[in-house]
Amino acid sequence: MLISLKDLKREANFLLRQKRIFVLLLITLILTSFALYTGIIEANKQQQSITRLLQADAQEQEIVFNSKNDYGSIAYYNFHLTYLPPSQLAFAAMGNRDTHPWKHRIRMLALEGQIYESDIGHPELAATGHFDFAFVLSVLLPLILILLLHDLFANERAAGRYDLLTVTASSPLKIWVTRALVLTLSLFLTFILPFVVAAVFNQVAISQIILVGLICLAQIIVWAAICFGLAKTNAPAPRLASILLSIWLITAFVIPVVGDAVIEQQITSPNGGDILMVQREAVNDAWDLPPQTTFDAFTQTHPEWKNHTSMNKMFEWKWYYAFQQVGDQQAAELTKAYTEAAKLKYQAANWLSVLSPSIAVQRAMTRIANTDAIASANYQQQVRDFHAELRSFYYPLIFNQVEFDQQQLALLPQFSANSHK
Amino acid sequence: MKDSVISANNLSVAYANQLVLNKVNFSVAQGQIFALLGGNGAGKSTTLKTFLGTLKPQSGSANILGKPVHQHINTSRKQIAYLPESVMLYGHLTAIENIQYFLSLADIKQSVQQIEDALTQVSLQPQAWHNKLSQYSKGMRQKTAIALALLRQAPILFLDEPTSGLDPAAIDEFNQLMSQLAQAGSTIFMVTHDVYGACQVANKIGLLHQGELISLFNAEHNQSIDTETVHKAFVRGIRA
Repeated sequence: MLISLKDLKREANFLLRQKRIFVLLLITLILTSFALYTGIIEANKQQQSITRLLQADAQEQEIVFNSKNDYGSIAYYNFHLTYLPPSQLAFAAMGNRDTHPWKHRIRMLALEGQIYESDIGHPELAATGHFDFAFVLSVLLPLILILLLHDLFANERAAGRYDLLTVTASSPLKIWVTRALVLTLSLFLTFILPFVVAAVFNQVAISQIILVGLICLAQIIVWAAICFGLAKTNAPAPRLASILLSIWLITAFVIPVVGDAVIEQQITSPNGGDILMVQREAVNDAWDLPPQTTFDAFTQTHPEWKNHTSMNKMFEWKWYYAFQQVGDQQAAELTKAYTEAAKLKYQAANWLSVLSPSIAVQRAMTRIANTDAIASANYQQQVRDFHAELRSFYYPLIFNQVEFDQQQLALLPQFSANSHK
Repeated sequence: MKDSVISANNLSVAYANQLVLNKVNFSVAQGQIFALLGGNGAGKSTTLKTFLGTLKPQSGSANILGKPVHQHINTSRKQIAYLPESVMLYGHLTAIENIQYFLSLADIKQSVQQIEDALTQVSLQPQAWHNKLSQYSKGMRQKTAIALALLRQAPILFLDEPTSGLDPAAIDEFNQLMSQLAQAGSTIFMVTHDVYGACQVANKIGLLHQGELISLFNAEHNQSIDTETVHKAFVRGIRA
């Protein structure tokens, strides 16, 4: 059975003239274009927000630098914007960017509280998520495919044409395969063409465009095989539609929701609020403790400042930043548990992808677009690294009680986003 | 059976181990119109589907030009044209487009002129040729399907309840057309429960009851088969 271009052209001419099919494909095209458009708007909004905040930060920094004349005050008042900019492909898969923070304005205070103060319990498997291209691809594509293919045979049987087609065609199997091929190819094009236009407009790398194309193709092949396999049975169209819609509902919604609940139940994790509370209580308690208690805890991790802990006044910045550091140290166990649990949840969610093509597609898309939990974890690490650089910059100046010099501030570390482009 | 174009030799067919055709034997020669009569569930459609190759016999064989269909499906199907009971060709295409589509599936090339000639032959009014089939009556759809069968130039025609739902004038036209085709050498096999219609057009009638062929009637000397005789046998068979 060799399908020729002539066969494809004949079936395309035949199928695309059917109002139902044409309307379905048109709706798909509109939905895909809309999802891409809103994705581009959102990504641009996030990028503009970063640009605006960077400008505001620079202005604020200038005010702080001009109004303060000691390193401790500057470290206290000066905010630093850290951010994970949307990747070139983020418009297609916003992923966890609404549940995982992608920007923090941090100071040289205890860090963990600053990271987790907006934590809202990150869902590992967002049930529906944004109406973006990844959602359309993972959830709506199977639905449209079911609507297109479920009655491939049943409709012909119901209309009494099945035997006529079988007897008339030189190769009966070729008709069904060609029809399925034309429908799936048309659907593929309605998804991929608007995406390619948007991707070129956003200067996405060709390798990423090809990867997304392959994901789209794989999703279509999986669902087309399910639809074709079931459609071949003698069941009537309404029953086939019910069975296929049930499979879709289970894989696209039930498995992600139940899976998320099971993962949350099975993998225990402190929440961000716990970390925030432990760190803040440690910091608050420190005000009432003898400074040496704080310095003892601080110098366990920073022994190089052991001989610089004597205090001449009731309040000194080195004590203040030491107990900020100790606050982070006390929250470290919880932070580690949180990070480990996040990794386990991510791995468990990967296993669930085997049961749900929708989850697999969404995770693949958000990985390529660098908008998933891994991207968020990498960003958190970047923030920690940057904060450590700030401490490394300020500690020698504060603990050595170096005389203030504006020139030194030129050496202040600057956050550099390392976004996937 | 040297001249038999269509024949059933001890044909038995079962669905889920239940016998629905039991050792049926008949033969149809070239140019004959054979009507297989029977009530609901007699096994008419099963017989037809076995000849179309969509069902396999449990034992015996359904033969086209002497070859068992289930062993020679592709060559057998090239010899036949099929007219289903409810001819629902594609409503979004015109008569000409429908015929072009089906012929293309069969890898048969016919010009628009040839298609129009066939539509003329089946008396489909030219002003309807370019209308979508969703606007056609059942009789018009059937004429289109017959034109398709003619254009396939297959020597054997299988018809499933061909006059069901047609008005008397359309039935008359249909019968005339079948007679013309038979005279031109086509062999026609139809299944029907219309005793009167079968006697009007067929020159051989088989009576099927509960999967068994209980009677065979042949027309003699170009005379129609007697309707009353067939009707009595039909009713007797049902009551037996």
